[in-house]
Amino acid sequence: MSWLRDGVSDVRRTADGWRWGRRSQVPRSAEPFVLAPQTTVFRTDWARRRPARIAREVTQKGALEPLLRSQVRARVEGLDVLAGLEGPVIFVANHASHLDTPLILLSLPDEWRRRTAVAAAADYFFDTWWRAVGSAVLFNTFPIERRGGTMATTPGEVLAEGWSLVIFPEGTRSTDGFVGRFQLGAAFLATKHGVPVVPIAHRGTFAAMPRGQGWPSPGRRRLTVRFGEPLRPRPDESPRDFGPRIKDAVAALLDEDRSTWWEARRRASAGATPDPAGPDVAPWRRVWEQTAPVTDPGSAEAPRAWSGRRS
Amino acid sequence: MSRPGFVLEVDDRTPPLVVHEGLGFRLESFPQGTRVVYPPESLPAIDDVDTAIREALLNPVDADPLPTKLRAGMRLTIAFDDVSLPLPPMRAPDIRQRIIEAVLTMAADAGVDDVKIVAANALHRRMTAAELKHIVGERVFRSFFPQGDLTNHDAEDRDDLLHIGLTDKGEDVEINRRAAESDLLVYVNVNLVAMDGGHKSVPIGLASYKSLRHHHNPQTMVRSHSFMDHTKSHLHHSAWRMGRLLKDHLDIFQIETTLDQHVFGAPYDFLMKREWEWSVRDQASMLAMRRGLGAAPRRLRHRLFHDLRAPYGLTGIHAGDTEAVHERTIATVHRQQLVELQGQSDVLVMGVPYLGPYNVNSSMNPILATCMGLGYYFNSYRGQPVVRRGGAVILYHPLNEGFNQLHHPSYVDFYEEILAESTDPAVIGEKYERQFAEDPWYVHLYRTSHAYHGVHPFYMWYWAAHAMDHVSEVIWVGADRKVASRLGFRAASTLADALEMASGAVGTNPSISYLRNPPHLIADVSVPGQP
Repeated sequence: MSWLRDGVSDVRRTADGWRWGRRSQVPRSAEPFVLAPQTTVFRTDWARRRPARIAREVTQKGALEPLLRSQVRARVEGLDVLAGLEGPVIFVANHASHLDTPLILLSLPDEWRRRTAVAAAADYFFDTWWRAVGSAVLFNTFPIERRGGTMATTPGEVLAEGWSLVIFPEGTRSTDGFVGRFQLGAAFLATKHGVPVVPIAHRGTFAAMPRGQGWPSPGRRRLTVRFGEPLRPRPDESPRDFGPRIKDAVAALLDEDRSTWWEARRRASAGATPDPAGPDVAPWRRVWEQTAPVTDPGSAEAPRAWSGRRS
Repeated sequence: MSRPGFVLEVDDRTPPLVVHEGLGFRLESFPQGTRVVYPPESLPAIDDVDTAIREALLNPVDADPLPTKLRAGMRLTIAFDDVSLPLPPMRAPDIRQRIIEAVLTMAADAGVDDVKIVAANALHRRMTAAELKHIVGERVFRSFFPQGDLTNHDAEDRDDLLHIGLTDKGEDVEINRRAAESDLLVYVNVNLVAMDGGHKSVPIGLASYKSLRHHHNPQTMVRSHSFMDHTKSHLHHSAWRMGRLLKDHLDIFQIETTLDQHVFGAPYDFLMKREWEWSVRDQASMLAMRRGLGAAPRRLRHRLFHDLRAPYGLTGIHAGDTEAVHERTIATVHRQQLVELQGQSDVLVMGVPYLGPYNVNSSMNPILATCMGLGYYFNSYRGQPVVRRGGAVILYHPLNEGFNQLHHPSYVDFYEEILAESTDPAVIGEKYERQFAEDPWYVHLYRTSHAYHGVHPFYMWYWAAHAMDHVSEVIWVGADRKVASRLGFRAASTLADALEMASGAVGTNPSISYLRNPPHLIADVSVPGQP
């Protein structure tokens, strides 16, 4: 009997100590000694073939979308920019949470969503086979190396197959909700392959499910997603020049989402768009600002006749 | 690429850590802030061992190539480290086998007929034929053992001992006669830890009690800071004086080897990994092993552990002049085992595993467990001890394995009679050492059976003398209380209890260091203002 009891105790301690079901952690003082992960080439061609596409359609529409809607309230604006646009395109967005990918994918019209793949960090989403298979089936991810290295499939090949891409140029989730430095990968792909970039700005995902949290906070937080006018690289434009334009477009969309299109346009013309990197203040104040509920006096937050509230 | 050793500071992300305790191990959750010293990972092993051996013999350090020392008509003796090295025993073929075969091949080519092979077991027990065979290999065993040319050293055979002389400090140098009268003595060493090798090989391994008593005594042991640093160990200073005297009388060709950190082979290799890097398979292996050990009777657990053979790799081999060779050997051992540690702690925690040098294929009795914890592990430092003077040592071992009557008969009397009277190394050494050393029954068992020499338990107790002198509290976690009490220590059920018991000496919020070995490590402790 005590043998059984000790066994249960051992399993519990192991499950707790090694965080079963969650991503394992490294003690802080051991972080400098962690080995670079082994680069395993994980092929994802199968995830873009018909059986996987059917499985994805079923899981996204049958499970993921109802789940997301049950946990958060999302408002999508600017989808009209996709009208008259032919794929493939590169969707470029700020990155603050694991909610970003499902939010963006499920915001897209179905015909676009079905032809969109997501570039995901090889060292994070493809470190174990089950995580790799899961993310490839659910989100149509393919691995990219954040630290350089070889890839099974290059983003260029995926574009060439006619798939649009979702890329988060920051390379990682924001630690405080503000936008970090944009890497030039998306700009490089757009200039090299001559595809337009559709900027996307979203707000509220950091407040709803920041780093370290495995499930959205209760209370159906409000999220907003705003699509911007497509940007096309000029014939002689280099990625180094095109990259800042993409970031400016995302910044202007964030500004627009906080205020109005007209005000944001005027500030953009005057070169006064607020820096999306946020103010240089104490870290807690940055987190504090980003975790405030998303408000939009223009629509959803306006008092309604039956609410009994007055502005 | 092998990673260096490092010091982990336990935080909220740290999983439970492995602590060895005899025929098992436990998972311990240490208080946050505990420093855990992890040994470096294995250095790259030499791929072509036979070529490396040949290279070392043909291009020795400060000595002529071995073939030039071999000639027809000479007396050649080959001595080698006994079963106490390495730990656990090496998976066949043992490195000593490969070296002895290479030496014998050269001796055969040179036409040497008079060759004897002797195990340098000093006052350790005689090895069995099977143990000898495992070390030297079937070919050497079959060629020498039946003819009586492969033997254990007998430190009580007056006819086979030769008194060489006295050192400038008046220490007797008396070693195996055959070795001393040979034209060439080739010594084959396994330098598992820093205290092995050098002049500790011949002047100690082939010595008699008369010679050993000059350095194996409480006064010398207390002043050896530590055994793992031969430049600061009085035991080694004495051995070095003896070795230099011997060098004037005898041509010694020293061959020293160093091993990597592969102590456990699959599926037990998780025991060597850093816990937060355990894969699902490692976690499953750990759980399976814990449950298996929990269900197994002690005899089976003993067998499971003692049947383990380590898949060691060779990291270095040097041959030639003893001191020049040892300098190179120690450099490799340090590269493999040294971990820098800033400052001392109030409490030092160590897990005593199932195996030490003196219980290979035997049981870890309470005296050997004490020697392992307070002797070997406590002394695994360079500079200053890991724990401050007056601090506390917490050890993990059940102390319930009892005594092996075949191997450790004098230990039983030492435990029952001597420790009942006093646990002070100096007192018991003064009063009883000579009596045990010269007891005819113990001498008889040492010479004809497989018993450690009568004086051996005293030496084990002396190994712990420095630690006993240095710390104020020694507490055994999970130990039999009566046994711990007989040893002069206290027992606790858990680490929390042990820390509570130690609070009188170190306060309620002590700094703690845990040495996460095996594999072996040497803590290179630097304390500002102290050498």
